[in-house]
Amino acid sequence: MSGMDAILHGGLQGYLVVALLLFALGLATVLLRRTLLLQFMGVELMLNAANVALLAFARFRGGDAQATVFYLFIIAVAACEAAIGLALVIGLFRHRDTTDSDRAASLKQ
Amino acid sequence: MFITFALITLLGALGMLLQKNVVVAGLCMVATFFGVAGLFVLLANPVAAALQIIVYSGAIMVLVLFVIMMLNSHQEEEAVASRPVQRWLSLALLAALVFGAVKLVLSSGGLKALAERGAAMPQAMTLQKAGTALFADHLLGFEVAGLLLLAAMIGAVALTKRNL
Repeated sequence: MSGMDAILHGGLQGYLVVALLLFALGLATVLLRRTLLLQFMGVELMLNAANVALLAFARFRGGDAQATVFYLFIIAVAACEAAIGLALVIGLFRHRDTTDSDRAASLKQ
Repeated sequence: MFITFALITLLGALGMLLQKNVVVAGLCMVATFFGVAGLFVLLANPVAAALQIIVYSGAIMVLVLFVIMMLNSHQEEEAVASRPVQRWLSLALLAALVFGAVKLVLSSGGLKALAERGAAMPQAMTLQKAGTALFADHLLGFEVAGLLLLAAMIGAVALTKRNL
């Protein structure tokens, strides 16, 4: 399968392109949106893009079980990140009454 | 099938980027997670697909939506400064990055060879294989992940509780 054909019918390159675009959309969300909750969701999208690439490579190397184990570790870290990140957003909202990252640019109280 | 799930994934992510309402953006993100789970099924990895739906679409999204409801801030706040230069510059850099990376993926001979070799060996991941690899080769990592989750849980309680 070559080029365009691989993208349309699910070759390795197709999955990698989807992972790249997903990563780019997540990064765009972090860069362009100001709400901290949306930026957090963008980070989750970027983690997901990495997972898609990891498991695509695992599939095309003959169904490597190590990749699924590492996927499990990645989502464990993502779950920790979700708990801590959202706790920080709640803490910021308590102190500053905002969830806008531009309004939280100062380290002073 | 691949193109359907890829479109669900990417359109969900695009909806999240463009949506004004934070709750709707969160629901777009659930669509993205389901699309990614579909891609995992197509990659012959139902274990990862099930984990994706349980952990992301289930646990993490419920947590996010819960926080959105609790903070009661459904709309994006008014911008302090519009910063047009930074926004367009970041978009241009991102577009250049994506263009370059996609070009690299499509022109790479190594990837093409790997794709052709790999297409011939469709081995489905089973829970047994994943479990054996996890508990035989990565037991320490598994324990550390458990400890990390415990630390995150205590940290989240310490951060959100007013007076401990």
